[in-house]
Amino acid sequence: MSESTSQPISVKESIFAYPRALIGAWDSFWFTPRSPHTLGVIRIATGLMMLYSHLVVASHLFAFVGDNAWINNQTIASIHGGDYTPADAARSYLWHLSNPLLLWLHHLFTIAVTAFFAIGLLTRITAPLAWFLQLMLVHRMTGTLFGLDQVTTMLAMYLMLSPCGSVFSVDKLLRRTFLSDGTDNKRLAWLFPSDAPSVSANIATRLIQLHLCIVYLFGGLWKARGTSWWDGTAIWFAISNAQYQSIDITWLGRFPRIFSALAHITVFWEIFYCALVWPKLTRPIALALAVAVHGGIAMFLGMITFGTIMIVANMAFLAPTLFMSREERSRAELAHASRVA
Amino acid sequence: MQPNPTNTHPSWFADWRVRLGVSALVIGHLWAVVGRPLEFATQGPFGTSPSASTFYAPVRGYSQFVYLDHGYAFFAPEPGPSHYFQAAIDEAGQKRIERKFPDLEDQWPRLLYHRHFMLAEFLNDVYHPPGDAPEEIASNPEAVAEWKRGRKRYEDVRDSIVKHLRSEYPRSEVAIRRVEHRQPGLPEFLNENVGVRDERLLRVLLDSMGVDSALPPVGPVGPPESVALPPAEAAR
Repeated sequence: MSESTSQPISVKESIFAYPRALIGAWDSFWFTPRSPHTLGVIRIATGLMMLYSHLVVASHLFAFVGDNAWINNQTIASIHGGDYTPADAARSYLWHLSNPLLLWLHHLFTIAVTAFFAIGLLTRITAPLAWFLQLMLVHRMTGTLFGLDQVTTMLAMYLMLSPCGSVFSVDKLLRRTFLSDGTDNKRLAWLFPSDAPSVSANIATRLIQLHLCIVYLFGGLWKARGTSWWDGTAIWFAISNAQYQSIDITWLGRFPRIFSALAHITVFWEIFYCALVWPKLTRPIALALAVAVHGGIAMFLGMITFGTIMIVANMAFLAPTLFMSREERSRAELAHASRVA
Repeated sequence: MQPNPTNTHPSWFADWRVRLGVSALVIGHLWAVVGRPLEFATQGPFGTSPSASTFYAPVRGYSQFVYLDHGYAFFAPEPGPSHYFQAAIDEAGQKRIERKFPDLEDQWPRLLYHRHFMLAEFLNDVYHPPGDAPEEIASNPEAVAEWKRGRKRYEDVRDSIVKHLRSEYPRSEVAIRRVEHRQPGLPEFLNENVGVRDERLLRVLLDSMGVDSALPPVGPVGPPESVALPPAEAAR
């Protein structure tokens, strides 16, 4: 467009144009309806991972909760209650539960709720409940937690905000059986939501995406503070840590150019993930590196659960259409076309 | 703001006031998501950045309750050594039982092993030497009180671990000791054939002030910590 043909912009317009564009972009980012299919897949994976974690805790329940746990009730209350450092808000009623029967009943209830969440049964209720029970457990298990617990709790929190149980779920079967799409029973329609695009599915997806960007940004910035991530030996020190090691790849030590390159790629990928994952052109690269890095952690550093859940979290950047049937995809494309029109 | 397009959930979000409220909640939540990692990353030798702490303060409680208060410093700033603890369990007239936490042969599946691994790292993280506060902080009552609280925390965590083992082995004397397992440097590995499980990489961390780092590397044999000492000192 040449300058001679463009319309002059008034001062008033130019003052308001930027904030208007900003509000428009915010509105479109958060409030554009999105199909829940990706979240449905993430729900199954997160639910199963939480279920597995609860079952492992159940195998040695009184090592983790109760008066004779590794960190007993009195000590955990002191750690969070301000006896050594300022008190924090990471509270759990499990600090006060000592009765073995009650602890077992509570844990069995947690397992049942989490299983229901994973299969998508009464998800509107079981999703927030599974998150809350997980939260109470992590606040009780301080000292034995790691990245897996951080990421599963985070995913469960965001999933409960969305109709993640509307697809790949028992809820969907129940809706098909007992409700027609045009049901006017609002309670049932809320309990068994349809799989139509929704703003809440979009908000949950956006929150997972942004949270992941923050995790990687600070993960990368922390690495950038260490000299071994700059000289490239960090990968060597990670793979030669006997307590992490699950498959011995110390032969890599004979190839310094390779392991140092892996260190550099890891740091740059983590720091710039928050920029690379948004453009469609670089997103496949950012996600492929996520699979490579977390797959490596899962296979070689003994953290199969953590590596897997990080890959699951990265799925938030995949389009819902990838998980739709052909028929659903055509419907979604038609709806999208009508929205654009 | 435009209302929802067709073929979507009937939505409250069509109302701009709802969107405004939700936007405020989203901003507040993201504040909490970024607040703790920012505060954690800005720690230096003289404490945390005052501006980062001030930024995080209003959302600290929320962030702690919903378990967002993490630093995300995975394998950073350096992938350092790992730690485990050994337990010597003596029942009168019985053979001594020795256990290690974590131990792949004892704790299965891997997630259970990893929980014990994190417990050993936690015990190591909260370690605080015994004795009076060092001279440089002795004139500062607040720093001395903090010093004492640090030691108390370590003792309580250590005693809790010992109590758990005693609950598994009633009528037994239990002692634990911390061991550091460092990685071999590349020259050691390549030129001196020091494997990742070489005993020269192990170091018993004694519960005394200032001497740990001066100890030469030793194998798994050594005195347990001074908790409920069993009759014999040598683990094997």
